[in-house]
Amino acid sequence: MEKKTERYDVVIIGGGAAGLTAGIYCGRARLKTLLIEKALVGGLATYTNEIENYPGFPEGSSGLGLMDLFHKQAKKFGVEFKLTDVRSVDFSGEEKIVETFRNRYVAKAVIVASGGKPRLTGAKNEADFLYDKGISFCATCDAAANTDKTVMVIGSGDAAIEEGMFLTKFASKVIVSVMHEDGKMDCNEIAKAEALANPKMEFAWNTVVDSFEGEGRLERVVLKNVKTEELTPYTVDSCFLFIGYLPNTELFRDMLDMNRGGYLLTNEKMETNIPGIFAVGDVRDKFLKQVATAVGDGAVAGYAAEKYIAEGEVYSRQILNEGGPSFVYIYNAIDPAGRELLPLIEQFEEKHKGEIPVSRVDVYKSTGIADKLNVSVFPSAVLINNNQVVAVLEKDINEADLEKLAAKLG
Amino acid sequence: MAEFTLDCMGEACPVPLMKCEKKMNELKVGDVLLVSIDHSCAMKNVPEWARTRGHNVEIEEVDDGEWEVIIEKTN
Repeated sequence: MEKKTERYDVVIIGGGAAGLTAGIYCGRARLKTLLIEKALVGGLATYTNEIENYPGFPEGSSGLGLMDLFHKQAKKFGVEFKLTDVRSVDFSGEEKIVETFRNRYVAKAVIVASGGKPRLTGAKNEADFLYDKGISFCATCDAAANTDKTVMVIGSGDAAIEEGMFLTKFASKVIVSVMHEDGKMDCNEIAKAEALANPKMEFAWNTVVDSFEGEGRLERVVLKNVKTEELTPYTVDSCFLFIGYLPNTELFRDMLDMNRGGYLLTNEKMETNIPGIFAVGDVRDKFLKQVATAVGDGAVAGYAAEKYIAEGEVYSRQILNEGGPSFVYIYNAIDPAGRELLPLIEQFEEKHKGEIPVSRVDVYKSTGIADKLNVSVFPSAVLINNNQVVAVLEKDINEADLEKLAAKLG
Repeated sequence: MAEFTLDCMGEACPVPLMKCEKKMNELKVGDVLLVSIDHSCAMKNVPEWARTRGHNVEIEEVDDGEWEVIIEKTN
């Protein structure tokens, strides 16, 4: 099957809070923007029943409701949505390629907002019971199916305890496996006190999962006591894993710089090691992962992508002069040495009018164009022809040297 | 390469996922199943499940809060 090729200014991978915000900024900057999401638009936030710390909603909001508003706003600014998973990416060229199972998207810039996926326990037979076979990651999704049943929750963080409490509204018993000592949990104190007082909740301290067992469907979870190594089987109908997230970065292995955990490394402009590729939200190595911080990331990347694309257009049209001759003076406007040469450049421009177009590039705000020309000393004069740098003058720029430079075109 | 449909409108989790699994067993490799869903939680576990089984998945948003999950059986 031949894949259909489509062109965009920006392709955003992932439709959570960070990706949607980046979309809003790109759409509003009139960039042709595509957002690819593999399931439900809204990302991880849609798994949360109640979001109480996102500013602007004093009454709180459901995760799904809040993300719906983000989605609507992105649509309003013309962002296009495609609901499927990304199969491969190629960031090696000037044009960035993102492929899904039926399409090949070519973009000038890509924003990676792929977030995370639930971490597994790594216990025996785990893969045999995932999703519909008894191991679930979404209490909202599967709570009703466990009415009057016994379920197990693995983990003691905020998600584990809050989702566990939600499950007690349906299930008759919720057993929580905690790897810490009696009474020690990773969640906040309020949730902890409520959970310990909940009569339907039972705790298995100092335990981790050793194996999942059953005929076709999950029937038993065997817990191992980390102190005594003792194994205890528990008969349950479902088991919910809430032991954290891993970044969705397999697609970018050996391409984008990551830390040991696989989170993408960026600078404060959300730029990765590849120009034109940005990373935002939970997939990025950062201090706090919240809707509020994802929104900040998205705004920065949307703006940075717009600047990157604009510089690229200036670069090919003006700096490279579509293959014709071009003279570029690169300076820093706050540096007196750079400013002093401006009259000389003007004189040169006047003399070669109609023959060599002259551009002035101020690197004070951004060194993007200088970087593309491999120039890091300012001021510098660069002569370009046939899309290639012919010569660079770095020091002691004077009239005679400029004329020698111009003569190289002849 | 036959096409099958499965109507899960108005059905909450985990019913759509269970119905999908049953229906996929009847399909041959290369066949396509179109599942109509209007419950957002099924949008999380149905595509995830299909992908872990190695199938190709694409989703169309038919209307606000209504989706068609397209699953191509690959194995």
